[in-house]
Amino acid sequence: MIYTFRGGIHMEEYKFTADSPIEKMPAPKKVYVPLSQHIGAPCSATVKIGDTVDKGQIIGTVEKGLGCPVHAPVSGKVTAIEEVLTPMGRKVSRVVIENDGEERLCETIIKKENAVSEVTPEACIEAVRLAGISGMGGATFPTYAKISSALGKVNYMIINCAECEPFITADHRMMLEYPEEILDGVRILNKVFGLEKGLIAVEDNKLDAVAKLNEVRGNDETIEVRVMKTKYPQGDERQLIFALTGQELPAGKLPADVGCVIFNVETCYNVARAVKYGMPLIERVVTVTGDCVSTPKNLLAPLGTPMSELIDFCGGLSKKPMKVITGGPMMGMAQWDINTPTTKGTNAILALSEKFTRPYDPNYSCIHCGKCVSVCPMHLMPLYLAQFSEQGDLGMCEKFNLMSCVECGTCAYICPGSVPIVQFVRMTKAKINEEKRRQQALAAAAAEKSEGKDSSDKKEEGKK
Amino acid sequence: MTNDSELLVLSSSPHVKHKNNTRRIMLDVIIAMLPALVWSVVMFGWRPILLTAVSVLSCISFEYGYQRLMKKPTTVNDLSAVVTGILLAFNVPSTAAWWLMPIGAFFAIVIVKQLFGGIGKNIVNPAIAARIFLFVSWPSQLTGFNEPITDAVSSATALGALKEGIIPEGLTVLDMFLGLCSGCIGEISALMLIIGGVYLLVRRVITWHIPVSFLVTVAVLAVIFPQAGGNLEYMAYALFSGGLMLGAIFMATDYTTSPVTYKGRLLFGFGCGLLTVMIRYFGAYPEGTSFAIMIMNLLV
Repeated sequence: MIYTFRGGIHMEEYKFTADSPIEKMPAPKKVYVPLSQHIGAPCSATVKIGDTVDKGQIIGTVEKGLGCPVHAPVSGKVTAIEEVLTPMGRKVSRVVIENDGEERLCETIIKKENAVSEVTPEACIEAVRLAGISGMGGATFPTYAKISSALGKVNYMIINCAECEPFITADHRMMLEYPEEILDGVRILNKVFGLEKGLIAVEDNKLDAVAKLNEVRGNDETIEVRVMKTKYPQGDERQLIFALTGQELPAGKLPADVGCVIFNVETCYNVARAVKYGMPLIERVVTVTGDCVSTPKNLLAPLGTPMSELIDFCGGLSKKPMKVITGGPMMGMAQWDINTPTTKGTNAILALSEKFTRPYDPNYSCIHCGKCVSVCPMHLMPLYLAQFSEQGDLGMCEKFNLMSCVECGTCAYICPGSVPIVQFVRMTKAKINEEKRRQQALAAAAAEKSEGKDSSDKKEEGKK
Repeated sequence: MTNDSELLVLSSSPHVKHKNNTRRIMLDVIIAMLPALVWSVVMFGWRPILLTAVSVLSCISFEYGYQRLMKKPTTVNDLSAVVTGILLAFNVPSTAAWWLMPIGAFFAIVIVKQLFGGIGKNIVNPAIAARIFLFVSWPSQLTGFNEPITDAVSSATALGALKEGIIPEGLTVLDMFLGLCSGCIGEISALMLIIGGVYLLVRRVITWHIPVSFLVTVAVLAVIFPQAGGNLEYMAYALFSGGLMLGAIFMATDYTTSPVTYKGRLLFGFGCGLLTVMIRYFGAYPEGTSFAIMIMNLLV
């Protein structure tokens, strides 16, 4: 049986690196480790300039709120703690470490060797938190928080290996090359959630990975590999849940609300490594590809490596790229600085010429063809969302469920009239959220005022 | 280090795009209409080509001229004006005077399309509106069907006969299906139009919903309420006569003036079929396809 959802589109895959084994990239001379690599509060540095650090040593922690620590990806000396702009234009601190080339592993890592069968939920959550693991598919939600908030609610645990974005092959190669650790990760998470079976969901363009996982799995009935149709956005959590369990996840709800929890495959791999060896997340697989990269490759690179060095390791740029993107071409982010370092969520670096990435067309026009409606995985009417957004009609946008949009971009991809549909939706979402905040602030102010009045009224009454 | 002084383009995702575009879609529609055009040449000689050429050139000129005049970006390259031009010519008989075409083209492009905001903004199909405009203004020009140049084919109009409650003399169902009959340039051969429709379906330019629900509605009503001959015989004549095939496959499926959802399309096709039959049965005119589609356009 092949699982899938309604809507979506099968797009050109461009998976040039599907057959390229993961190459370990030598650690660069300097790494630049941002102190905010996850959703939640940023870390504050626990090291000072001039400190000597070991590979895997914690260099930044979150004291309050959601967040997970950041570790030194190499051993060496801290040469700077500086404030820079993120790709989004926000300010972030980062720790610059000069690599001493000794690869001196932090002591806490070497000593541990825990059995998979003996893991407890508490021990797992603590190990995952200490290892600084956050969702590695790109969303970077702290994994320990996901596990602890889902405890006791889960009927289905899904390891997301859809990798439905074009170009990226990091997850695909992980499954082929590290199946044992991935399966151990599933066993650990099964145990944590008290499940009899965990699901691994793979698209049917990676049947070699399915075969590999099944071969290594043997007769282990606690793990099931499910094959899904190759279709974008199959890896979106809502589509994944619908495909595998038949449940629709309502807008504004979390997977745990319908009894599901989803982990990216590389996250799962790192959970296994954290629980078994206490290994923190200090490196990840990055697919470096695109028509402007000389030799596209899958690289295992230390976090904090500048993108330019990854590209250089792949033979450099063969021609001038129009865009350099981190993540996939559908939901990834265009970068303005080619020296931006990799983070926990960087699964790919794409250097694309205008052959692949079309510039914005100011003469866009909707011809009402309805293609966006038929591909929308959330069953919205994207053309009207774009139209109402353009007109600034927030009320109609909300009426047409704009807030349910998952921003997968399939509508803008398919649109023959080049209407920037999802871009309009993003803008309107921001406007609606801002408006809501304003209303709340007004309501709060009004409540305060009337409360104040009430109390003064009472006082007056008391006087009387 | 890779040279970092070169500027990169920034934009919100998605960064890739499907290779289809409006121009390619319009080109597919043009390709799909070619079999019917070729067939009209076979039946009526070179005059259909002349009328089509005048119509297409007029449409392009009016679109270009209007956009230059109003200082708007030119969109002639999207080929939508060509599609309108061909459809307009398809809706007149080969005997129609050539000067009707520029008049129709002006009405279609300037009044119906551009004054409402251009491509994607018009509320009724330009070609259909122009056809109706010409039809009510110069009725004799639009109904004076000539005899096809092929011998041994009757020139009797099937719809006229059907309206009077008789099966057209000398016209078999097969003649009607193949297009061995008189009529407007693009509407005579159901076979050629269906070939074009299949091409559009394969290229995913249109979905099956509108043509199928339109034709099925007409067929079902014809079987239940035949006006002449046997039930199935009448159904076949009703399906293959007049502008029904042309309307169902090429005009009702016009993106701008039809619904965007599958359910909406089914309903739209049903409405078109129902109105077509109502007008054919109870209206003053023998043919109701274009009126039906225009009325449904207005409801979208």
